[in-house]
Amino acid sequence: MRGGTAHSSGSGACLTPSTESIIRIEHITKIFKNRQTVVAVDDVTFEVQRGEIFGLLGPNGAGKSTLIRILTTLLQPTSGTACVDTYDIARDPEKIRGIIGVCPQNSTLDVELTAYDNLEFYGKLVNVDDDTLDARIWQLLKMADLADRAHMKVQTFSGGMRRKLEIVRAFIHHPLILFLDEPTIGLDPESRREVWEQIASLNAEKTTIILTTHYMDEAEKLCHRIAFVDKGRLIALDVLENLKRLIPAGDLLEIGFETMNEGVVSSIRQDGLINSVEVKEQKLVISAKNGSRVLPAIVAIFEKFSLPISSISIHSPSLEDVFIYLTGRKLDGGNGDLKPAGRGRVP
Amino acid sequence: MIRGAIAIFKRDFKKFLGNPYVLIFTLLMPIMYLVIFGNAMGGTISHVPIGVVQEGPPYTETPLFSSSVEELIHIQPQKDNPRLFDVAVYTDETIAKRDLSEGRISGVVVFPSEVSRDHAIRLYLDSSDYMVPTLVQSGVGAALAKTGSHNPVQVNKIYGDIKYIQFFGVGVIVMAIFMTTMMGGGIALIKDREMGIHEGYLVTPVKRSSIILGMISSGTVRAFLAGFIIFVVGILITGIIMRSMEDFLLVLFVIFIASIGVTSLMVSIASRFSNQQEYASTTAFFNLILFMTSGAFYPTIGMPDWLRWITIINPEWYSVHALRSIILRGQGLGVVGPDLIALLVFSILAISLGILTYRRTLE
Repeated sequence: MRGGTAHSSGSGACLTPSTESIIRIEHITKIFKNRQTVVAVDDVTFEVQRGEIFGLLGPNGAGKSTLIRILTTLLQPTSGTACVDTYDIARDPEKIRGIIGVCPQNSTLDVELTAYDNLEFYGKLVNVDDDTLDARIWQLLKMADLADRAHMKVQTFSGGMRRKLEIVRAFIHHPLILFLDEPTIGLDPESRREVWEQIASLNAEKTTIILTTHYMDEAEKLCHRIAFVDKGRLIALDVLENLKRLIPAGDLLEIGFETMNEGVVSSIRQDGLINSVEVKEQKLVISAKNGSRVLPAIVAIFEKFSLPISSISIHSPSLEDVFIYLTGRKLDGGNGDLKPAGRGRVP
Repeated sequence: MIRGAIAIFKRDFKKFLGNPYVLIFTLLMPIMYLVIFGNAMGGTISHVPIGVVQEGPPYTETPLFSSSVEELIHIQPQKDNPRLFDVAVYTDETIAKRDLSEGRISGVVVFPSEVSRDHAIRLYLDSSDYMVPTLVQSGVGAALAKTGSHNPVQVNKIYGDIKYIQFFGVGVIVMAIFMTTMMGGGIALIKDREMGIHEGYLVTPVKRSSIILGMISSGTVRAFLAGFIIFVVGILITGIIMRSMEDFLLVLFVIFIASIGVTSLMVSIASRFSNQQEYASTTAFFNLILFMTSGAFYPTIGMPDWLRWITIINPEWYSVHALRSIILRGQGLGVVGPDLIALLVFSILAISLGILTYRRTLE
């Protein structure tokens, strides 16, 4: 029985403390067998570094929550190992529960209790000292902007208020690592911004944060490093800038025009920095590695042919573009031989 | 309109068929009702243990004694039925009466000696039971009539006249404990699980044993309060008289121990379920079996042997027995001690089962 493990020694691999990485995942696979067999996590290996905000990004059903549940000891992996700090998830789940804070995707607040009572109850479960608990609760309530509602039942709260309460609850005991599973799902833009600020300020206090999301802007805004997960597999992991560089097409320039001359298109195609040129209705769509550098030359060509430009836009690839590019290519690859481009980048 | 109705019908029916567990239990329920209710309430009472004593001195058996005992042994309520009495011959009236007061036998017939002045036959009855005292009295009357003797019969109900409402009232205390635990405790626990509150517990360092013990203790307090309230209401409605403060406190103690036992059982069952429907159908089933065989409605002596076996592992039977011993018979720890020990053993087993089977992960 895993519940009763009292020994403090982690497995050999986990014991060696690493100054860099706080979570090490090695070949974790999780297969659910019900009526249908579902491979939720498929041979995933990566590390999370101490003090970073790590983003797990992927569409719904990609396996993000399953991965989080394995790391937070709610599920056991079918195969593979993982270390959280110096503890093995299979051997020392109780130790791990002491150093993590978790804000799961689905609310686990007791809506029939007040905000204060929810925090107090949880604080006792995670062994916050009774002397400091009250002060800590008020500190968190202020942080979540809920101090004036401390003694109201959670069922009277809006979705955003509940979410903020649940997030602050997760770090009531100053955990070493904070897991946030879709922290801003269903929140309005204002509440999302507030949650982001909370996360950023927590991270400033050296808390490592692992965040899952399917909002690209959230990951782009918050995360130091981002892991793309799709269909249970890790398809890319890097800092934002490097992920964007994965797209060979680079920037997209769109030039609006009224009349077009074949000479313009062929002249632009001469430019070595330009990848492709297409005419789409009243627009010239140009893809180039570095949009702002090729723009003057393009404008010069238009002037040479005395054609007016009605609009110019430069569009840098977003995370979403990277994701579509990565998963799109995977789909095109068809027979699985062509693994996604990002795979080689996984440390 | 029809289309919508059909769609709703289809959806409900799919869900009904998709949950075979609930399906089986809903079908099993009426069948079990038939078997258990039919057997527990309608069974013929037979083999009632009674004692016979020849009064002295001299202690020699009189012809009346031997012929009456012969008739008592062979008396049958109807032809081909099993015998009504299991007759034990005592030589000492005090020992027979002690066995009667401790519930080992249901009645004592004392036959007069030759030198007796009024030649009266004395019949002592355990009047705390339902049906059985009446049956013993009429059985003894019939047996004596067959011997052709005309001795007068003195009937002594050792606990006075006890009405059915008083007999049943004690059982209702146990029912209150069970209902509170099943409805309040168990359903609330499963609702918490459905709401994900347990998932919240599971990512904290709190131990399985702490979760189970915490749930059992809150459930016990609730069940105890319910039992206590029904006990007080029962006193007012049924006219039970508590003989002393000690008896009153002893009743509270028994209610408390019974609450622990029943709550532990419910928590260990509920901690395995994640679905209210499944839990409700299972506990309704348990409720039926445990309450019917607890002796709260009807004396367990009327039940077939296989059903009476259940009483041995039924915490409610021990609770009902202990409460009846104190409230109706004024007996003390000496008699209810074994009941309390049985309840405690049961609670410990149920708590351990709950802790062992509580799922620490989400699978």
